[in-house]
Amino acid sequence: MSRTSFHTLEEALDDEHYPEVDLALRRGRHIGRDDGTMYEYLVDAQALLEEFYRRFGCELIQQSDGYFYLLPSGDRLGRRQLSAGEMLVGQMLALLYLDPASLQQGGTVSREAPLERLSALLSTDTLVRTIAPRNVRKGKYDERIAAEAVRTKVGDALRRLADLGFVDLLDDTRLRLRPALMRFAEPVRGLGEPGAALERLVRVGEVALDEGEPASEEDSNLDEEPTP
Amino acid sequence: MTEAPPPKEPNRVIASLARDQVNLDLKTVDLCFLAGLYLRADKAALASFEEDVLIDMFEQICDVVEPGADNPRKRATHAIQRLREQRMLARVDGAGIVRTGDYALTTLAAAVIKYFLTDEALTRESLTLLTATLSAQLAEVLAAAKRSEDTDSWRSKVSGPLRVTVSELVSGIERRQRGLDAQQEEVQGEIAKLLQSDWFSAVDRCQLLLDTTTSTLNELNEILLRDTHHFVALLLEIQGLATEAENSEAEETVQRVIEHVDRIAAWGSARQQAWSEYYQYIHRYLRDVVRLDPDRALSQRLRDQAAAWPTFKFFLLVADASPIRLLRALEARVERPPVARPHTEREADPEWVEPENVHADIEALVTRAIDEGASTLAEVSTRVLPNMPESLHYVAVGRVADAVARLAQVHGEHERAWAPVLSRIEVEDWTVERKDVQ
Repeated sequence: MSRTSFHTLEEALDDEHYPEVDLALRRGRHIGRDDGTMYEYLVDAQALLEEFYRRFGCELIQQSDGYFYLLPSGDRLGRRQLSAGEMLVGQMLALLYLDPASLQQGGTVSREAPLERLSALLSTDTLVRTIAPRNVRKGKYDERIAAEAVRTKVGDALRRLADLGFVDLLDDTRLRLRPALMRFAEPVRGLGEPGAALERLVRVGEVALDEGEPASEEDSNLDEEPTP
Repeated sequence: MTEAPPPKEPNRVIASLARDQVNLDLKTVDLCFLAGLYLRADKAALASFEEDVLIDMFEQICDVVEPGADNPRKRATHAIQRLREQRMLARVDGAGIVRTGDYALTTLAAAVIKYFLTDEALTRESLTLLTATLSAQLAEVLAAAKRSEDTDSWRSKVSGPLRVTVSELVSGIERRQRGLDAQQEEVQGEIAKLLQSDWFSAVDRCQLLLDTTTSTLNELNEILLRDTHHFVALLLEIQGLATEAENSEAEETVQRVIEHVDRIAAWGSARQQAWSEYYQYIHRYLRDVVRLDPDRALSQRLRDQAAAWPTFKFFLLVADASPIRLLRALEARVERPPVARPHTEREADPEWVEPENVHADIEALVTRAIDEGASTLAEVSTRVLPNMPESLHYVAVGRVADAVARLAQVHGEHERAWAPVLSRIEVEDWTVERKDVQ
């Protein structure tokens, strides 16, 4: 069991939770209250670990919503930016998290729910061009194949967001929403202009504005030729 | 006293239900009709209903459920038939077609209607009352077990009460637990609805609902933990006495009741755990989402942000340390030999073998048999076949017939008789004469 507080870094690193917490943070996982003793350990060791990770060029961030994550600010520790598909799915999940209707099931929703929200909010064309751009050839795409690709990509995005601690995949049909989803709402949480909030977030290294190179595994299943 | 029924095997029960194709198809009007009958029977202490009463009741129900529906009398007839087929109504007179019948609600119908009518959620009062009664009942059974000396008294004073009275009480608690489950589900739905409609102004009411249910669950769980422990202790004592008396029937009955009691105790802790998770989630939601966004503006702003995606793009950054790469141990490359078989001379040299003249000899043998006076095909065959190996007899008998037809004059009756040749063959017989005889 973790003690209530640590006096030295050595004590903190000597704790049984450290290896698991450290690996999870370095892999981009958001550790929240739902993670039980891992979260408690971070609360206890926060002051010491903030200094410790700063030496690796990272910030150990604690948000008021009740979760921790590691934010690399230099090149010492690898970092990646989420894909457009992950961002859209993440925002839909954040919307579901805010929706009181999901409270009835204690914050669990079906895996189809984010896609349902997305299709209600954005046109099919925007969805296909954003989430499955490889299916668009010379500005055209086969609707059936593109829809299949969008569904696959949303499923992939959910798995990656689960790895990062934004949701818990409960079974084949349901997932639990976690407070870390509120990161997707950061630009609009204040009452100010979203653009200004976004600039601030870029400045502190929370977000990037340019779409980076897509992750290699993301592209592996996108080469299905559309029918002419 | 009758023997205790043997415990039913689930597989058999399910198989027999599937074989009988049991199903229930009750429409709202059917349920309302049954509920009307149930309440009327309860109020007027009726054991059965005359057919006219049923039809009157159905018409009244129809007025409420489907006002303006055509031909309610005909619909009543169909409804009664439908409910009889589904074993909800039973005809209880033996008059057949002589006069109109009397009908009663079956236990199935009563159970279904009770479910909808009775509010049997577990409360502190009902649980305390039930556990106190159960405790007294178990103490009585224990005292009886101590006194019982023969099988009959074990059966009537111990197994019987355990199977009927105690099991009923335990089932009563379980039924009320299910009622409380349903209530909890309602509370969860109510909290979601309150926030949906009133958002920030609903926080206090939601908190009150949460706290009330939490304290109810805590109280119930405390009672269950304390009393089930006491029940199991009493039951184990009874089981010990049954073991000493070598009464296996009582032992099994006690075991079943113990398992039932364990299930009740497990319910308490499982529900408390589940509710605790729900409580924490809602509590956090109220604190982090509702209180921080009293105007409920965040959802709309987030929706606008997502809807503007192609023009308002941003990408979250996350740590992504590459995993430690484990190098494989060096190992010499193993050359796998190609699949092959040894070279060998597969062309065998020709060998000298004895000539096979068996079939060539047939003609000579047939000629000799005819010359010696064989006068039927069966007779010729019987003389020729012993000169050949037995494995060739079946083939040779056809060649014999062929040779006979060519070398002699043969005659066949229209209905040719079958004649035995040696022990295992029969032929359709001909008469045979030498050609030179004519």
